[in-house]
Amino acid sequence: MITRKEIVDKTAETLLKASTVFRPDQLEAYKRAAESEDSEHAKWVLNNIIKNAEIAEDKVFPLCDDTGIPHVLVEVGEDAVVPAGFFSAVEEGVAEGLRKLPGRPMAVKGNDYERISQSAGLSEDSSDLAMAPMQIRRISGKKIRLTLMMYGGGPEIRGKTLRVFHKHSVDTVVNEMIEWAVEGAKLLGCLPCILSFGIGRSNLEAASLSMEAMAKGNFTVQSEMEKKITDEVNKAGYGALGLGGKTTALATFVKVGPQRASGIRVVSMRLGCCFDPRRAEWEFEA
Amino acid sequence: MQINMPVDDNVINQLKIYDMVEITGKIFTGRDAVLPKIVKCIEEGTCEEKGIHLTGGAVFHTAVSPAGIGPTSSNKVDIEGSIPALSEAGIKMHIGKGSLKKETTEALKKYNSIFLVTPPSTAFLTASIKSRRVVAFPEEGMEALHEIEVENFPAIVAIAHGESIYDK
Repeated sequence: MITRKEIVDKTAETLLKASTVFRPDQLEAYKRAAESEDSEHAKWVLNNIIKNAEIAEDKVFPLCDDTGIPHVLVEVGEDAVVPAGFFSAVEEGVAEGLRKLPGRPMAVKGNDYERISQSAGLSEDSSDLAMAPMQIRRISGKKIRLTLMMYGGGPEIRGKTLRVFHKHSVDTVVNEMIEWAVEGAKLLGCLPCILSFGIGRSNLEAASLSMEAMAKGNFTVQSEMEKKITDEVNKAGYGALGLGGKTTALATFVKVGPQRASGIRVVSMRLGCCFDPRRAEWEFEA
Repeated sequence: MQINMPVDDNVINQLKIYDMVEITGKIFTGRDAVLPKIVKCIEEGTCEEKGIHLTGGAVFHTAVSPAGIGPTSSNKVDIEGSIPALSEAGIKMHIGKGSLKKETTEALKKYNSIFLVTPPSTAFLTASIKSRRVVAFPEEGMEALHEIEVENFPAIVAIAHGESIYDK
């Protein structure tokens, strides 16, 4: 039986890990990229990002001062029993994690109008930052798997969700995705970017699939489509921190969902920054 | 190259794009919320009375929060729009990330000021801070005008003397 305390504690721990630790595949991708660069400036930036990850993990300090908005994916096993109060315990764990990190105190106070205009100020309490609505998926078995991701603000400026007229060609859709990524990467300060795409039937579904791509993506396991997008974006030559070089995009994660009989596909792109995805997971035995 | 704050025209004249530098000394921090307010102080001539001494200084585009420091995108309207006035008032180095417009490159050239970028490596950059204090507009909280003392703060020159790495 999972206790409330276990849910709160493990959620908080997962948030801290997501915010402060590079996963092995992420670190390996950076090391490979740094080795492959001819430009000393690009090497300098990529090695700086690796050094930052080492310090962040060692000191349990945020990788980035924009500690991000917590996004949670919950996968529930078919044979798992979700305990009463599970979701509120996850929310409590997220708040606890933000306090411990500490997260950047960026919750906007006030009513609808004041929050939009940011005219009533910010909360000084990191834990007042509400998490985004949870996404839920079904899996086999008895486990409940929680994946926690921290979404920084820069990628939200460059991200996009829009229909693409596919003309019955995968290339048409993929080329549009590459075009969006190249256009966004030019303005994103924190290169290399990590691209997450969802392709679905509605704006909501596509964005949700993009989140799933980000939750599951592995830097060292890239599909043909993912590799093609990364390679094409890298031809732009913006390079790490925009200083030029081979690494404009470090990797791409794509999740293709079910499609409808229609002339359009809805594509959602997150043009993730160099620390994306800040992600960690925990499995509860239910 | 090591740079000790504050700097004068001689130091700026030696720097060119792609130069890698390490900055030591006191620098300002500010972003969207406070930089337009500083520009207003410049226009009204009230900077000195508020304790804001800009001559030879640097502005790092960041908030200062318990989560540390890290560059925000300098091409946001309120930030990039402050660069010409701040340069004219004596700021010699603007530190952030992202490409800037040609008009901004021209303004930097006119006032012999430069733009530098630094990786968003918060854990690394925050470790370089020796002290911090709020200089003005404390009501802006983490986005108030701060002065931080840094040691060996890493950056690379992105725009100098009319040349920009983003035009390459």
